[in-house]
Amino acid sequence: MAIAKNNSVKVAPGEAVGTVAAQSIGEPSTQMVLENFHQAGVVSAIRTKGLPRLIELVDARKVPKVATIEIWPEKAIMKDLAKVKALKKKIEEVKVKEVISDFDENFNNASMQLTLNKEKLAMYDLTDRGIVSKLEKIEGIEVSSADHVITVKIKKTKSADRSIHGIRVMFVKVRNMNIAGVKGVSNIGIETTDDGAYYLVAMGNNISGVLEIDGVDKNRVYSNDPFEVMRVFGIEAARNLIANELKDTMKVNGVDVSYRHLMLVADAMTFYGTIKSVGRHGIAGSKNSVFARAAYEETIKHFTNACVFGESDPLTGVAENILIGKQVKVGTGIVKLSIKKSDLKEIKGK
Amino acid sequence: MMAEEKCYVYLNGKPMGNVEDGRAFAQEIRKNRRMGLISGEVNVAYNKKLNEVHVLTDRGRPRKPYIIVENGASRLTEELKEKLRNKEIDFNYLIRRGVIEYLDAEEEENILCALTESEITQKTTHLEIDPASNLSVIINSGVYPEYDTIGKHGLISNFIKQSQGVYALNFKNRFDARAYILYYPQQPIVNSVTYRTLKLGRHASGQNFVVALSTYYGYNMQDAVILNKGAIDRGLGRSMFYRSYSDEERRYPGGQQDHFKIPPATAEGYLGEHAYAKLSEDGIIEPEQQVKEGDVLIGKISPPRFLEEQTSFGLSEEKTRDNSVKLRTGEQGVIDSVALSESTGATKIVKVRIRSEKIPELGDKFASRQAQKGVVGLIVNQEDMPFSESGVVPDLLLNPHSVGGRTTVGHMMEMLVGKAASMEGKTSDGTPFATKGSELLKRYGDILESNGFDRFGDEWLYDGTTGRRFEAKIFTGVVYYKKLMQMVSAKLQVRGRGPVQILTHQPTEGKPRSGGLRFGEMERDALVGHGASLLLKERMLYQSDKSEIWVCQNCGDVGYMDYVKNRPICLTCGSTDLKQVEISYAFKLLLDEIKSLHILPRIRMKSE
Repeated sequence: MAIAKNNSVKVAPGEAVGTVAAQSIGEPSTQMVLENFHQAGVVSAIRTKGLPRLIELVDARKVPKVATIEIWPEKAIMKDLAKVKALKKKIEEVKVKEVISDFDENFNNASMQLTLNKEKLAMYDLTDRGIVSKLEKIEGIEVSSADHVITVKIKKTKSADRSIHGIRVMFVKVRNMNIAGVKGVSNIGIETTDDGAYYLVAMGNNISGVLEIDGVDKNRVYSNDPFEVMRVFGIEAARNLIANELKDTMKVNGVDVSYRHLMLVADAMTFYGTIKSVGRHGIAGSKNSVFARAAYEETIKHFTNACVFGESDPLTGVAENILIGKQVKVGTGIVKLSIKKSDLKEIKGK
Repeated sequence: MMAEEKCYVYLNGKPMGNVEDGRAFAQEIRKNRRMGLISGEVNVAYNKKLNEVHVLTDRGRPRKPYIIVENGASRLTEELKEKLRNKEIDFNYLIRRGVIEYLDAEEEENILCALTESEITQKTTHLEIDPASNLSVIINSGVYPEYDTIGKHGLISNFIKQSQGVYALNFKNRFDARAYILYYPQQPIVNSVTYRTLKLGRHASGQNFVVALSTYYGYNMQDAVILNKGAIDRGLGRSMFYRSYSDEERRYPGGQQDHFKIPPATAEGYLGEHAYAKLSEDGIIEPEQQVKEGDVLIGKISPPRFLEEQTSFGLSEEKTRDNSVKLRTGEQGVIDSVALSESTGATKIVKVRIRSEKIPELGDKFASRQAQKGVVGLIVNQEDMPFSESGVVPDLLLNPHSVGGRTTVGHMMEMLVGKAASMEGKTSDGTPFATKGSELLKRYGDILESNGFDRFGDEWLYDGTTGRRFEAKIFTGVVYYKKLMQMVSAKLQVRGRGPVQILTHQPTEGKPRSGGLRFGEMERDALVGHGASLLLKERMLYQSDKSEIWVCQNCGDVGYMDYVKNRPICLTCGSTDLKQVEISYAFKLLLDEIKSLHILPRIRMKSE
């Protein structure tokens, strides 16, 4: 049975797998809704879905519209809600602006007073001292504190920008300073699986930051940002991620496409060692045939460059062969009649 | 709280001042208008959202009459109605007495209008004169529109515009670009008040078909209809098609001019003697001549497009260009009439009208007044059509599946009423909202029964080929069908070989140039997807722009065959070692274009 199944999905030599994959993905995605309604709140619900997500993936956008990260606690604490909540607290990013009750900017002497909120401090287990030490990492400012009021002053050095704009930029930077948790990971929601385990879904894509936290199952951190996955885990992981995300996106819309087509797309996108988009800036733009590229988009650009650099076209692909009117090397076109030289002599002899 | 804003009053869009209470102000104007103190042509509207009053008196506003309702009672009392019936008073009297008033679009926004008297409540301000008057004239000229879905009405108005009939009674004297005249137009058996009032019967555009709601061996699947050959032979759906061609002796700067005449054989673009054979001496075709595709109707010569160079012998003999009017591709017919005239610029004008008979054929489009459209799927000999006990053979078989999902109940109504009315020999009324469905069924059911038919219009039909009775009774009736302007004879197009474009050597596009159908990108991808590379090559090369060029084996440039010396030669390097290859002409063009930029594309060949 398994062998028969295996044989039935074998691809014949010369099969136009790329074209078939493109058609198999393209046709059903015309039925997908273009825009979906947005829901506020739960992170898992605001993830980009449907056609926009599909486009985002194949276009290889550097930053996804909504980057999310799934964090699984270690097996031991997975079903303990209190411990998972503690883990959440450890991960969730806290910025300066979230723990202050008020701030006062003084542009005359380039200083700012931050009044800390005691309750918030207690909530995040933070102390004045801790915050000051974090803020001191920012270059070009002096930090001092007294009775829950932190004073930030821009140093009078030559390089310091003491214009109103420069002061404002610096203060905004101070207020957005990360003082606890993993940078860039926010809006964490706790979700449950069917068997009562808890896991976290958050906005953000800082995988490496999350991996440093104790109590996180290092094998199960999952982000929907292919570029982050590529940076942290490598190109093979990114390839799997793209294929998986494509599959899930199609599935949510009730579109049934064979996984093999999606794998092929992911393969093609990651073939060059980095993630390339499908289109003229990516795969299509890196074809080695001048004619194929010119036939697709930006005809003149490709021809001028080809002329300047004296490019040659080996005429191996589909588009260029159709253009000049040669038999395309696809399907029946790859078959050639061949004969052994020795046999040839025999025939000639007769 | 916001300060109370003042209500501005606009007269024909210009602000005139303000009032405290806009609504009361508008009501005051209305009161005075109804009393006759202000002209009845003044309309006033209060816009609650913007708190504005618009008084409109300018011309060109379409207005519609309504009966005024006051305190939950129509001003058109029984007493007045009785007087109207006895013709003691007329419509204008009612307007003068403030019973009926005309409202424009703006004022209509302020009213609450009841369709019928029974719907009047305390809040109602107006009453429709007739419930049907909230439908358009086109819909009102149809029958039983209240039984069809609203979406169908849009379709119906389109079909009415496309129907063939008698569009103008002086059609014989007109030279319209296209005209369709039905041979035997009939007035509908079931019609409406609007139809009769507008005397649309004078411009009838259809015929009363005997319709059976039945399938026929699957030939009326998917909205096809079956037609009876016998009926067609007796003139059903037969029409005449007129097309007018016109041409003018144009004058050109430099004193040159076109001339109507049979072009001389020396003229540029001369079509050959046979093409001009039907022209009379003046170069214009005679009436009642049979013409076919490509025949010249008006022979005309024009001066050449470009001025000629002076030769050493002075002016060379004047050259002319054939600029004749030919009959369109795919058309044929008889010259109906020829008219000569003069334009305002004192140039000769010729108009030629061609007439051709259009007998219903496979693919012609028919539609009822209930948006039941269909193309002819099969024309059946009368003896093979189903027939009823009384020997009636339907003209048209409509597939019952066309009715269910579309809920065109009006069509069924018309079938039933049409059948009953034709038994009585009278036309019948199908005015919108005029009769209740149950009453209608009873009345016409009784008529049918008294004439020996089933009261629901069902009949036993017999198969024409076997003579066997069908297992179920089949609903038959009479429906007014229209033949629409869409006819295959004007659309049919085939091409095996044919003209190609000069620039690309690819087949031409479009029907008038007898072009091919484009094998587009997606079609190409489909063949690639199937791996059918040889079929792909045939489509993209052999059936398109194949050309053979000689490629120099030495330098890779394109050479040519020197037929004098009988050997190919490359002009770039002088080599005679060239090989002939098949390429698309488009590629040759591309190479030429690159060469024109002083860049030499080289073709290196490898033997396979």
